[in-house]
Amino acid sequence: MPALEVRNLFKSYFLHGKRIDVLRGVWMDVEAGELVSLVGASGSGKSTFLHVVGMLDAPAAGEIRFAGRDLFEMSDPAVADFRNRTIGFVFQSHYLLPEFTALENVAMPALIQRWERGSALRRARELLLRVGLEKRIDHRPGELSGGEAQRVALARALVLKPAGEAQRVALARALVLKPALLLADEPTGNLDPVTGEGIHQLLREVNQELGITAIVVTHNEALAQSMPRRLRLIDGQVLPT
Amino acid sequence: MSSDRHTLYRWGSLWSGAFLAFSGVVVAVIAAAQEKRTADLLGELSWSAVGWGPLAALLKGLGGNLLRASASHFPLPLLDTRLWLAAGGLWIVGWVLIGLSIHYIAAPGEAPSPARGAPLYQRLARYRDFNWVTLLAYGGGVLASELALILFHTMLVTGVHYGKSPGGEPRLLQASPTVAFAISLLIGFAVAFASGFFGAARARRLATPEATLGLLYFGLPIPLLLTAISANPDLQLRVGYRLREVSYLAGLLGRPELGYWLVYLGLALMMFLGITTGFVVTGSGKVDIRSGFELFIARRHVAVFRPSLLLSVLAILMFGVIPPLIVYAIVRAAEAAVEQTRIRALGLIDPLKATEAVHQWKMREQTPTAMMTTLSVGGVGVGVMALIIVLSVMSGFEADLQQKIIGTNAQVVVSKYADSFSEYREVMDKIRKVKGVMGETPFILNEVMISSGPNIAGVIIKGIDPATVGNVTDLRKNILPGGSLDALSHPETIVARSPEQPRRPEDDKGQPVLQGIILGRELAGSLHVSVGDRVDIISPLGGELGPQGPLPKSRPFRVAGIFYSGMYEYDAKFVYILLETAQKFFNMEGASGVEVRVSDVDDARRIAKAIGQELDGWPYRTRDWGEMNRNLFSALRLEKLVMAIILTIIVIVAGGLIVATVIMLVLEKRKEIAVLKALGVPDGGIVKIFLTEGLQIGIAGGLLGLLSGISWCVLIEKIGIKLDPQVYYIPELPVKIEPLQTIIPVLIAVLVTYLASIYPALKASQVEPVEGLKSE
Repeated sequence: MPALEVRNLFKSYFLHGKRIDVLRGVWMDVEAGELVSLVGASGSGKSTFLHVVGMLDAPAAGEIRFAGRDLFEMSDPAVADFRNRTIGFVFQSHYLLPEFTALENVAMPALIQRWERGSALRRARELLLRVGLEKRIDHRPGELSGGEAQRVALARALVLKPAGEAQRVALARALVLKPALLLADEPTGNLDPVTGEGIHQLLREVNQELGITAIVVTHNEALAQSMPRRLRLIDGQVLPT
Repeated sequence: MSSDRHTLYRWGSLWSGAFLAFSGVVVAVIAAAQEKRTADLLGELSWSAVGWGPLAALLKGLGGNLLRASASHFPLPLLDTRLWLAAGGLWIVGWVLIGLSIHYIAAPGEAPSPARGAPLYQRLARYRDFNWVTLLAYGGGVLASELALILFHTMLVTGVHYGKSPGGEPRLLQASPTVAFAISLLIGFAVAFASGFFGAARARRLATPEATLGLLYFGLPIPLLLTAISANPDLQLRVGYRLREVSYLAGLLGRPELGYWLVYLGLALMMFLGITTGFVVTGSGKVDIRSGFELFIARRHVAVFRPSLLLSVLAILMFGVIPPLIVYAIVRAAEAAVEQTRIRALGLIDPLKATEAVHQWKMREQTPTAMMTTLSVGGVGVGVMALIIVLSVMSGFEADLQQKIIGTNAQVVVSKYADSFSEYREVMDKIRKVKGVMGETPFILNEVMISSGPNIAGVIIKGIDPATVGNVTDLRKNILPGGSLDALSHPETIVARSPEQPRRPEDDKGQPVLQGIILGRELAGSLHVSVGDRVDIISPLGGELGPQGPLPKSRPFRVAGIFYSGMYEYDAKFVYILLETAQKFFNMEGASGVEVRVSDVDDARRIAKAIGQELDGWPYRTRDWGEMNRNLFSALRLEKLVMAIILTIIVIVAGGLIVATVIMLVLEKRKEIAVLKALGVPDGGIVKIFLTEGLQIGIAGGLLGLLSGISWCVLIEKIGIKLDPQVYYIPELPVKIEPLQTIIPVLIAVLVTYLASIYPALKASQVEPVEGLKSE
């Protein structure tokens, strides 16, 4: 059974009062632990699709299931909790909170979960070490370079997600309770190719190590080619390339 | 095939229908106003209905009563029933028009969309269902809180028996009216808050329609009834006596209806607080009052508790706007000069280091939001400070007046209807046994004229017993040096004084000794007499009949002392003589009454009642000082309330500033709100964050206002502000710091900021994550 099932998804937005049907019956399955790239022309609805899957935006019709749960049946608080525990977002801009240090930013999801401050910061420190930013722990987002900020954002997306060897074993055993979904929306869009490749490398590593399911939206064909599975969004439909 | 049809509104008929229906309501109101009583009631209500209702009600309370007059004198040509029929007809026609304006017409032909048949996303079709349980909770809650308030108040004032004391006597739980009101108000507030909380938690939303219906249909009848009772003497006779404790307390305010509506507003406010709290706390799907995370975020967003901000606001509150601004400008100028010199020197050596210094220098600039935050804190602080100072000064005046009035007139007076009060000694023995009585003294009261040479004045003469009067009034203390109260009993000790020929006591030998009299300072001044001088008392009703009716009776007295009470009226109007002398002078057997001092001034009413019970009521009558001076004190209280309300407007203006500040914050943080939502903060959490941000401002402002307000009061008390003795009878501005009066402004400030932050906070929670993330 696939981890993520998208069925007949429709979404329109309105430009100058005119309806633009951007998603027109999207069908898509993603297996647990898979790393998928999604490419498409500008304005083809890649970001919209990602937002709908992450429950940030409302579709018009359709069905999305993650790990057997119907996302559209959930109550508002349950959606918030789902975003907090299960989904990790990485956006084109880092969207770090400017008033907080890198460490606090990474710890934010755990703090929302009302973890005790100390353990949240400890977990955040581990992840910052993992993404290679141990020297930037107490810096504010304004003092980080684009690549560094994006690494912090990635660490933040992973802070509540299951980690380590044990989880890999569990994943191997046909997937269990809390699978996680990493949604990256053009994470390298604002970066130069070299830095961007570093982020992609990190994404692949994270996917390998944590067994996290990930969808990476990009318009960089070369980077997309490096992903194990590649999809393309054309005419409101998701098709394999 | 409803899917192929869509609705179309004909705006013309919709709006004209609405207009007609509304006119119907207006005609109905006019028809109702045809009757005198309903007109009065409508006059009361219409004031509360206009936008600035509370203010208008205040103005009305202070004087004008235009609308009532115009409503009852408005000439209408139509008969009553015809008016009612017209109202009903207009209303029905209006609604029919509204109904006709809705049309279902066939949908324009268009190819079906590709999504036909796909399952609709449920949230798109989400509609707001009406929650009957919530309506019941809100409506029942407000009604229950009103009933609880009235019931507990009446019960506590009249006394409740509970259990038995070791002696076997039933215990009585009883409180003075103000304490009972405070307790029952708290109970009412708690009930309103709890029901609001429950209703909102049940509906998981604010449920505004339910709240409106509940407050209007369940909440209004009782205040309306009370207002009607206070406005309508007929109703007062029929049902008013059951609510006498409630109306007594409201009457203390001078305008009972104002009291009722203020209490109703308070209850509605508490319910609103309960509703919002219930929504915020249960917004995450379960009861969650933890807010460490929200506070963590909020404190970074608005850093209110910074020493620089707090100190600068405190400086402005204590020293005004100009002096701190001057100091700030000087310090900043000096700092800038030093820093610029340093940067230039640095630049000659290392330009990069200099750029860094410039950068750091620029980083210190305040953002607009920080500026707004400071202003809001200052605004709240000014409001709270003004409230505390003004209320304290007014309390000072009130306490001063009360002390003077009670000092001269006793706290409780027992008098007798009709017959002469010759058995006053036995009555005094009975009074002495009542718990709470500290002293009692008989008196005779009458009005006479006093003259000294060419000067003449009408005065109130009081026959007193010097032996016991000191236990009841402050007269003994108020006698100025040179005179003596005891000289009344021993008139022979008064040294006579005469400007022409100074005389010694032995000169008066052989002459009859004149009885002593004590005058007020102002009276002595206007009669040009002092201790030892002779004055004549003339009573118009002498008792002896002449050819044209009773002859005036005159008798000489010698001034035994002069008193100064501090109340102009008393010092100019009162004279005291010996009780026995007064009895003889007025041909009376007994006394006019007995004055009593009680242990607790605020409990005088209850003790007066107890004395009345001890004396078995008629023909005796007991009155407490509050009853005797009701007009004066209710005027004072009303004045204080009006001042409090007017000054609260300052706090409300500051609340407007807070609304603006928090809205600015919300706009500034749209992106952050979206990110927080993407990270999984529920809507309730976002509301909590921005509520906390507003509340921080309120708490900081309130505490600074409290600090500066109390400092100012202490300063006024210690240093004193001199008053012009030509105008005022008090040498200095009196100040009385009452704990409750200093706490309440702070609570008002916190409450106002809470209310002010709710709207922006709700707006913040409605930011769509996608919209926020797009706004780059």
